[in-house]
Amino acid sequence: MNRRDFLGGASASVLASGMLPLLAQDREKNVSPDDTFSVGVIGPGSRGQELIRQLLRIRGVRIAAVCDIYEPRFAEVDQLAGSPVPRYKDYRHMLERKDLDAIVVATPLYLHAEHVNAALNSGRAVYGEKSMGFTPEDSLSILRTVSETGKIFQVGHQYRYAPWFQDAVQRVRDLQIGKVTQIVAYWNRNADWRRPVPEPKDERLINWRLYREYSGGLLTELGSHHIDVANWVLGEQPIDVIGVGSIAVYHDGREVDDNVQVIFGYSEGRRMTFTSMTSNSLMGEQLWIYGTSGSLQLTLEDATFYYEPRPIHAVNPHSEMMQHGVTTGASFRAQGEMPYRGPGTRLATASGDDPTLVACRSFVDCVRGKKQPLADVQIGYAAAIAAACANRSIQSGRKEIIPPAPAAG
Amino acid sequence: MPVVQTLKRLLALCLLLANGGPSDYACASEPKRAAPAAQVFLETHTAMGTIFSIYLYAPTEREAHTVAQAAFDEVDRVEELLSNYRPSSELSRINREAALGPVVTDRETFAFVATSIGWSARTNGAFDITVGRLMKAWGFFRANGHVPSAAELAEAGRQMGWQKVILNSQERSVRFAADNVELDPGGIGKGYVVDRMVEMLRVEHVTSALISAGSSTIYAIGAPPGKRGWKVQIPDPEDHQRPISTVVLRDTSLSTSACTEKYFVLDGHRYCHIMNPHTLKPVEDMVQTTAIHPSATASDALSASLFVLGPEASLHLLKGMPEASALLLAGHGRVEHCTSVRWSDPEGGDVCHRTATKRNRKVEP
Repeated sequence: MNRRDFLGGASASVLASGMLPLLAQDREKNVSPDDTFSVGVIGPGSRGQELIRQLLRIRGVRIAAVCDIYEPRFAEVDQLAGSPVPRYKDYRHMLERKDLDAIVVATPLYLHAEHVNAALNSGRAVYGEKSMGFTPEDSLSILRTVSETGKIFQVGHQYRYAPWFQDAVQRVRDLQIGKVTQIVAYWNRNADWRRPVPEPKDERLINWRLYREYSGGLLTELGSHHIDVANWVLGEQPIDVIGVGSIAVYHDGREVDDNVQVIFGYSEGRRMTFTSMTSNSLMGEQLWIYGTSGSLQLTLEDATFYYEPRPIHAVNPHSEMMQHGVTTGASFRAQGEMPYRGPGTRLATASGDDPTLVACRSFVDCVRGKKQPLADVQIGYAAAIAAACANRSIQSGRKEIIPPAPAAG
Repeated sequence: MPVVQTLKRLLALCLLLANGGPSDYACASEPKRAAPAAQVFLETHTAMGTIFSIYLYAPTEREAHTVAQAAFDEVDRVEELLSNYRPSSELSRINREAALGPVVTDRETFAFVATSIGWSARTNGAFDITVGRLMKAWGFFRANGHVPSAAELAEAGRQMGWQKVILNSQERSVRFAADNVELDPGGIGKGYVVDRMVEMLRVEHVTSALISAGSSTIYAIGAPPGKRGWKVQIPDPEDHQRPISTVVLRDTSLSTSACTEKYFVLDGHRYCHIMNPHTLKPVEDMVQTTAIHPSATASDALSASLFVLGPEASLHLLKGMPEASALLLAGHGRVEHCTSVRWSDPEGGDVCHRTATKRNRKVEP
């Protein structure tokens, strides 16, 4: 009997005694890398299934339980897993299981706090999809639960794990493009953002992203990634935000905007502008990070640096030019009149594995080794509360102050 | 524009006009700082589709930056005047309107066009500022090269020709005698702007600097401390690892024309961006030409002219220009024929004999 089997057979008295968190901590510490790692998934929809797909690529991981209120999801998960996965319609019943090492929460945004808090309180490590919380209060509650339980929580900001993001952001933080004062981020698509709905009664269940009751729209579902990158680059969460949004194309009964434009204010007058639209895909999904001596174009596929024309600098008197002279030749190829475009310098950083796979693998490693994850609750809070406040600004028409995370402890 | 800067430019222009032309300015401004500057600085600037560089001796980085910026401001001003890529430029306005009637322009633009037409007359049309339509027919405007049809070439031929540019110096007007004529400053513009930069730096009392406009036109002001002048290497087109010649420039300019940067290849054939206005086709039998002349405007136009003219006609032209020297490398892709005129470099001897060309010749007209 391995340790998990033993814990699976723990008595009801142990559970009732309040020792579960301690036992769970102990379990995380002692999981062998070769041991089975059992995951329960709350919300195996499109994103949840992508996480399952990636988790199943990690040695020892098995999907031990899934919970959803939409019946067709179970067969889809069974197909993914290759065998029937125990299913639950009530997450509380799933959390009563004794053999789960970690819980993945990929439910609609408005349920994140409820499910993440319950999973943490059950003593499990949690991988929670972004945006971490729907409302500022939701995000704060998750922050507090992580602090109170001491459990591992990783937020689904997987680009924190992408090698080219890490390399590029480190270079920016090393001042390779000078002082960054502006970030302009785009998440543009040309699609209506709808999912097919087999039964009309399931419209809100399937297309929850389109309704304000459940979703923060483009800001939380897409923008939170870019907000997180801006926070990463600038080393803090934004101070305030002002934004606008509208439904300009898709007048199909949806409630969330089909385009938003938001400006986040950071300290020292630094700004991040986020634009998202669903009616034109030209700019795609990218951030432009502007520094005093260069720029970084950061996309979901690569990173390219552009440098401002070099300022004046002293020439070494022993340099090749001073010793042997400049070389004449035909003039450079005509480039029109736009200075400073050029092809840029693309980072040679290997893109490596899918960032979601790297994030999932890191999460499992953190749980097994009881290490704090890179994309921790503070990172999740900073992006989520900014996205939530941005939506409040759009709705109120006023600048909103973004509350900082309370001091630890 | 700041008043001081405006005054400096006016002073530069006055000096230019008082001395009769760009080649005379060297004696116009006596250097006030006798002591050589301690350090050389490099500053670059992107304009006119290329990179301008200034190597400059100055006591401090701040002083070097200030004067370099004044020179680069001048580049930007001239670009706004003469760019055929910018619809807002004065040259573009002339291109749009001169077929409809005389276009009155400012003194500087008129002088530039007149100088260009003068080069056309001097080279019997080998240099032709109306080559714009031909360049477009071959796709060399905004880099989209293709071989035009005979009909397209004939059409381009009807739309070009320096004799179709009618100048009236009394009213400073430019008129085109045919529709769709277009002035293209490509063969002379960089040289002109380098001359303007030189003026600006001399007004700023710079006594030692090297200006490079994308390496094709270079001007040396004075010399580095303790040196005879600024070294400039002329590359061997067949061996980029070593120069074919190194010259020392002092208060003079050097320009090079070659097809190594702007060309396109179709069906294995390389088409050069330098056009022969007489054949309406790219030059086929020249590899590289370099001209040295006290005026950068002149060396730029001269190197382009020599490229089109070929060795024999070039010798004839250079006979009438005792202040010029030149190095011509002719051939079809490879260097087959080397010609030097009044060419000297520190190694001494005949530069052409030092090359690995198949046929060497040196002529001193």
